[in-house]
Order: sequence, then structure tokens, then C-alpha cells
Amino acid sequence: MGGGSTAPLLAAFACVFLAVFPPVASGDAATLESVPDLVKAMYINVESFPCVRLLNHSGQVDPGHDKVIAPIVRFGNRNDQLVQLSAVLLPLNQMTDFFLRVSNDPELYRKIAGVLVEANGVDNMLEFSPDRKFPQQAFAPYSNLSHHWNPTGSGIMWNKYDFPVFLLSEESTQTLQNLADKNEKSANGYLANVAEFDLVMQTTKAGTHDSESCLREQSCLPLGGQSVWTSLPPISNSSTKHQKPIIMVTASQDSASFFRDRSLGADSPISGLIALLTAVDALSHLHDISNLKKQLVFAVFNGEAWGYLGSRKFLQELDQGADSVNGISSLLIDQVLEIGSVGKAISQGYPLFYAHAAGNSSISMKMVDALQSASESLGSDNVKVKPAASSNPGVPPSSLMSFLGKNSSTPGLVLEDFDSQFSNRFYHSTLDGPANVNSSSIAAAAALIARSLYILASADLPIDLITLNTIKVNVSLVEELIGCLLKCDPGLSCGIVKSFISPSNSCPSHYVGVFQDLPAGTQFPSYADDISQFIWNFLADRTSSLAGNSSSCTGQCHDEGEICVGAEVEGGGRCVVSTTRYVPAYSTRLKFEDNVWHVLPVNSSDPFSAADPVWTESFWNTIGLRVYAVQATSYDWLVLLIGIIITAASYFAVIVGRSYISKIIKRD
Amino acid sequence: MTVAAGLGYALVALGPAFSLFAGVVARKPFLVLTLLTSTLFWLISLIILSGIWRVFLPIRSGAWWPYAILILTSVAFQEGIRLVFWRLYKKTEEMLDSFADRISKPRLCLTDKMLISLAGGLGHGVAHAVFFCLSLLTPAFGRATFYVEKCSRMPFFLVSAIISLGFLVIHTFSMIIAFNGYDERKRSDQVFVPVVHLIASVMTLINLAPGGCVIGTPLLCVVGAVTLQYCWQMVWRRLSEQQHRQFSS
Repeated sequence: MGGGSTAPLLAAFACVFLAVFPPVASGDAATLESVPDLVKAMYINVESFPCVRLLNHSGQVDPGHDKVIAPIVRFGNRNDQLVQLSAVLLPLNQMTDFFLRVSNDPELYRKIAGVLVEANGVDNMLEFSPDRKFPQQAFAPYSNLSHHWNPTGSGIMWNKYDFPVFLLSEESTQTLQNLADKNEKSANGYLANVAEFDLVMQTTKAGTHDSESCLREQSCLPLGGQSVWTSLPPISNSSTKHQKPIIMVTASQDSASFFRDRSLGADSPISGLIALLTAVDALSHLHDISNLKKQLVFAVFNGEAWGYLGSRKFLQELDQGADSVNGISSLLIDQVLEIGSVGKAISQGYPLFYAHAAGNSSISMKMVDALQSASESLGSDNVKVKPAASSNPGVPPSSLMSFLGKNSSTPGLVLEDFDSQFSNRFYHSTLDGPANVNSSSIAAAAALIARSLYILASADLPIDLITLNTIKVNVSLVEELIGCLLKCDPGLSCGIVKSFISPSNSCPSHYVGVFQDLPAGTQFPSYADDISQFIWNFLADRTSSLAGNSSSCTGQCHDEGEICVGAEVEGGGRCVVSTTRYVPAYSTRLKFEDNVWHVLPVNSSDPFSAADPVWTESFWNTIGLRVYAVQATSYDWLVLLIGIIITAASYFAVIVGRSYISKIIKRD
Repeated sequence: MTVAAGLGYALVALGPAFSLFAGVVARKPFLVLTLLTSTLFWLISLIILSGIWRVFLPIRSGAWWPYAILILTSVAFQEGIRLVFWRLYKKTEEMLDSFADRISKPRLCLTDKMLISLAGGLGHGVAHAVFFCLSLLTPAFGRATFYVEKCSRMPFFLVSAIISLGFLVIHTFSMIIAFNGYDERKRSDQVFVPVVHLIASVMTLINLAPGGCVIGTPLLCVVGAVTLQYCWQMVWRRLSEQQHRQFSS
């Protein structure tokens, strides 16, 4: 903290005279007014984002140390070696190389106490993806797993490291660079700036090495959250007899990254989520939507980055006919249209999307056709759709895999901004931020989806071209949602989010989190994260039929089929008629019984059951990182020795002086 | 492990004070009382000073002169307090002397008076050290140390411990010089004390310069040594004179 540097010295001066007066740093306003201030200046708490280790059912090893203290060393060159146990300060653009090297170099591995990753220097980075080349390949419903959907993927996220890894914020990067420079310069050897890592990566109890044992010991919770689905128009319970076939439109709401709290996932998958919300908004303005031949059901799945938790749990609930999916059934699902990554579709001046159809059934061909007619209807907006290359082994990693795993003949399609390889060069990394997506690309996808849904839902009816052309997306809504869901400013405190919920944190994070609710009573979960809550309220609001009376409410509504939108907002919410529900999203291999989570044995009827990693996150206190200067132990002992010598010498002098004086006095 | 360092710094700052207390003050109850009174006096003076200066603080500019004014006024005030303390002591001494006359016991002798002034000075010094150094030392017992940008050679705690030691010596022995000077009405001693106090205080401003602490702290120790030497000579002279007088009478 260079700015406050003079303050302590002034305090030293004040020690001479008047420390009660707050001494001030010259230049800036940083003051050192009390001993706690001094302690704060000594121990710099560094703002950083830890890498949290998760457990799966096959286990991760827990080294079990609680605090690590090591000198901060800059690791600039890829051939650098370490001389002692060190906290390595690493530029982000060397992270991949470093972690790959560490995995193959046990000599280096042993000397790493922790890794601090710098936040800056990312401008010249062209690609960075810590995920695998084929993310979540265990869930692929096809056998060719050698395809590289994510060619930039290094897979470093899935290796295990016995040292903590922290991503620094821009400000703390500066601080730590200064300290590392000081360590390089100081040749005296008795002073070093060190980093102290608190409880690192995991705090699993000893002996709980995998999800099953830690869940039994209740020292962890399963990853999960709440998915949300809605129908347009609302499904009234009286009409259950003659239900329409369903077109499912899905998107994911969660991402993953090396650093838990820095998982924005702007292109993958939040661009798809924004497109879905915008398409719902566009379709909600149609008046004759209930006259269409098919029922539109929109679902936003949570936990998709961690084993397609949301979509698989949704399908399981459908099979079990749970309350959360009351009104729809898996037999009615006619088509599945997934909106994948759609934020980077603009390549040659116009948006170009690829339709990845599952199989070659006539219905999925019809879906591609519908997308193409929608693209034609958009005319001058020039939004193009192409069928994905037939050389692809199948659909790219997506929730559709869950549907195909359940029933391989499900007609489905994933709309993506890439053909055979991700156009997102920062897949599942901290760099997949708002700058990585293009709002007009997302708006084009939303328009395309909205119009093709109208075409698909019309089925064999002649398409009303006038109505079709009135379907227009609100581009400013896309931009607003990008601001809300992908940026810290305004973040979740933006107007549209605040009109529905009172967010707990303005900076959005799309890490799935842990499932904190009890699985029972999912109709009104006691806990849903901000994003799920916002999606629920937004969808409920947009899909509500106009007939809903607008009586104010704070929780539940009395009338059947009515829900309370914006219940948390000051002044209460309003009751609307809408079929919008939360569905729990957690591993299908988990069961909550007697207040404990149990891992179920592999279900032979579910092909994905064995592939399910059953991710859990341990309970941990705040994971902190602080840096400070330490002295060599010999220096400490030297100080003590000097203190003792001074005291002893002065005592000796007092005795000698006293006897001398008494001798003078006695002489008389 | 830095409990050792924290203890070391505390011993540097307060070790000599402890030696003086154990070797001299603790033997006579009235000296302990004097020490406590003096400590209280010094603390009250500090509270009054901080109350006055509160209005102007914190000093936002980086210039050194506001600190010089601060030092000047504070030294002046504390020297005033010393005079008040002297008056109070004098009154007590008269009372004690008359009381001693009444019960036909000997009056306070010269060494007693000197011991009282020593205890008074030690009270000032200890209050200073406890207030300005010991309280700051608590973080030194932790893992970390602290270096100030402008003083990269010495830990902050060592600087404050040495400064505290210097002022302990100056405060303790300048009280003996001052009381003797008032008693003898000797102008040179009366002037010596405030001048030394002021010089030592202004000297701490050297710490504001980059690397200044390496020069400032030894210089302060020199000032402390000079005070001690001056005091010793004075005490020697007075005792010899008295001895002469008694011898001749």
C-alpha cells in the first residue's frame, strides 16, 4: 500500500509526542489513527477469488492442512524454477502452461504453496478455457467422443491440486506485484513478504474424501439450485383432458470456471438465457397465442455445467409426476428447442446461427425448416441459419443430451453460434464476460427463436404472415439484461431485476451454488438464488394472461392458478394467472431422507446415472488471503537479546550508581 | 515466533524504567506515590493538549511545519505542567517539613528530594512509553512485522521502542535537573531542561525524511546520554557541596 506509506512513520513520530492525534499520510487521505489501523496496514487482506475444490463420488484427496505461509515469488518465465516453498504470482495468460507443467513436474509441484493469478494482462489473450476439449463428454448420447468441441480447452480445471489457487482483483494484483518486486530487490535476507492462505480449497472433515462420505458426515452439500419453467399461455387445470403437444424451449442459467465466484459465462450459456427471456417477452405481446396448435413451454435449467443437473432432474420429476411439473408430461413433449451459445454469431457482418438437429427425423427437419422460414421472414435484418455440418458426431454439449439420453428419438435442435467447434474461445473461463458477447447477435437469436416458435406452434395451420411479422424483439431489453446479468454495474441492482426481486448481491455470479433447500415443497422453495428468482418472476410476469386481477400480495395468492409476482419488492407484488414453477435441480442420484442426503446406487435404467459425478461442495468458512512482511527468526531473537541486555545493563548501572551515592553520603 | 520480538521491543522501551523502579523507587512507598501522581499529571496534560489540538487535526498537508508548531506548543505546555508539578511538590514539602518539625523528626534531606524528583521524572517517562510505544507494540507480538516506506532499514516497532527509550531517559533525568534548578534558582538548569526537551522532540522530525530514522534515532539516544551525563554531574556537585558544608559545620 504505497499511498499510506508515510502514515506509519508519522505515527512513529507521534509516538514521540502525541500519538492521540491522528497522524496523516502526506498526499492522500489514508490515515493511521489507531492500533487497529496499524494492524490493517500490516496485514493486507487481499481481495481475491478462490478456486474451491469440489468432491465427486469417486473422491478427491484432502491434504488437510489449514494455513499456508510462503514468500511471494513472481513466476514470469515458463522455465523459471523455484528455490523454496513459495506462493507463486502468475499472469493469467500463463496459467494454462503453468498448470499443465505443474501436473507433470513433481519437483515444481512440491515447492508450490499456493498460486495467485493476476487479473490484468488479459487484453492480448486470444484463448483460454480450463475445461476439457469435449466438456461433459460422459453425457454424450453418441460414441464418437474424440471430437473437439472446445479446441482451446486445456482441462486444467478438472485436475486436482493440493495447493490453493486464487484469482486476484485488479487492485490486489497491483499490491502483490509491488510486494513480489520488493522480495526480489531485498537482498538482506531477513525480511520477506509472505502470503498467508486461510483454509484452502476445501475443509472436508478428515476421512470424508468423496461425496458419499461427506454427505453422510453432513460436512458438505450437493451442488444444485432451482430451475424454472413456464408455459405460454398458462395451462389451466380444467383443460387437462385435451392437452396440446408441447414445444419445449430450453436454456441454461449456470456456468463454471476455475474460480468459483468468477463464473460469468456470458456467451456460454447466458447469451442463450437472455435470448430465451427476450423471445418470451416478444411472444407475450401476441394475442392469439392460445389459438395455436401447440403449447409453448420454456424451461431454464440450473446446474447444467455440473452434470446437466437441472434438465435431468426435470425429466425425473416429469416421470414421477411431481407437483413441480403438474400440468405437463413427458409424453406430451413433441419437440425440444435449445438455445445454446448465441452471443458470438456475427462473423461477416450479419448473424449466422447453426442449427444442430438431433438425428434426422422428419420433425427435427421441420424445426430446421421453421428456423429458416423465420430467418427469411426477418428479411432485411439478415439473420441466417444453417444446418450444422453433417460431419459432427451429434449435438454439441447441451441440455438436449439429457432429453436424448432419456429418449434417443426425441426430436430436438440446439441453436448455436458455431458449427463444429465453439466460437467461444473463453469457454468456462473467467474471461467469458460481457465483452465476449454481442447484443445484436443475442437479439437476432431471440427474434429468430420467437418467430420460429410461432411457426412451429402453428403446426399445420396456415401461417398468419401478418402476425408473424409483428413479432419483434425489444433490443433494449437485450442490452438491459446484459447489464443486469453480466456486469457488476448496474448488475442485479438494475431496474428490471429490482422491479421483481430484492437481490442480495449486485454483482452477478452464475456459479450454480449448493442446494440449500429441502427437496419437499418445491412449489415455493424457501431458498432460490437471485438469478432463479429473477427468471421465475420475469417469466411469470411475461406469460401471465391479461385476465389476472391485480390484487396485491406478499406471498401466495388465494385463487387457483394464480401466483404472486414481485412479492419481495417494497409495496408487495401482484397476483397473476401464470403457470410458472420452480423445479429443484440436483443430482438424480441423491435422495434426501431423515435429514441426510443419501447417494443412490447406479440406476441401470438411466444411462446417465453412472456418468453422474454427484458433485458436492464442502462447508467452508470465508476463504481468505492476506499478505504481510515477516522477519527471520534469528532477527526476532536478536531483538529479544538486545532488550534483555539493555534491561540488565541499566539495572546494573542503577545498583552501581546507588551504592556509589550512598558511599558519598556515608562518608560524612 | 515473534513473541520474542515483541518482548524484545518492550524491553528496549521499558527495560531501564523497570530497572529504576525495581532498584530505587520500589524501596520507598512515598516514591511510588510520587511516581503515580506524576504519571497521572502527565496523562492529564496529554488529554488537555489533545483536546486543544483536536480541532486542527488531522493535518492534511504534507508539510513539516504544522508538526513543528505542534511540537513547540506541546513542549511549552508540558514545561508549564512541570512548573505546576513543582509548585505542588514544594507545598507538600513545606507541609511535610512543618509536620516533621512538630513531631521533632528530621526534615527531608537532599537525597530524599532528589529521589522524589527522580520518581516524578520516571512517572513522566513511563507514561510516555506506555502511551506511545507499548500500546503500539501489541501487533508486534503477531506474525508480521512492519516497515515504513521512508524507513526501510528499521522495523517500525524498533524505531518506536528506541524513541521511547530516549524520551524515558530524557524525561526522568531532566526532572531532577529541573527541580534542582528551581530549588537553587539556577537559571542555566532551568533553561537546560526545556531546551533539551525541544531539541529531542524536533529531532524526531528527521524521521519524516526518507531514511531519516537511521540518523534520527541514534541522535535521540545521544541527547538522552547528554541529559544523563549533565544530571550526574549536577548530582555529584550538589552532594559534594553538601558534604563540604556538613564537614565545615
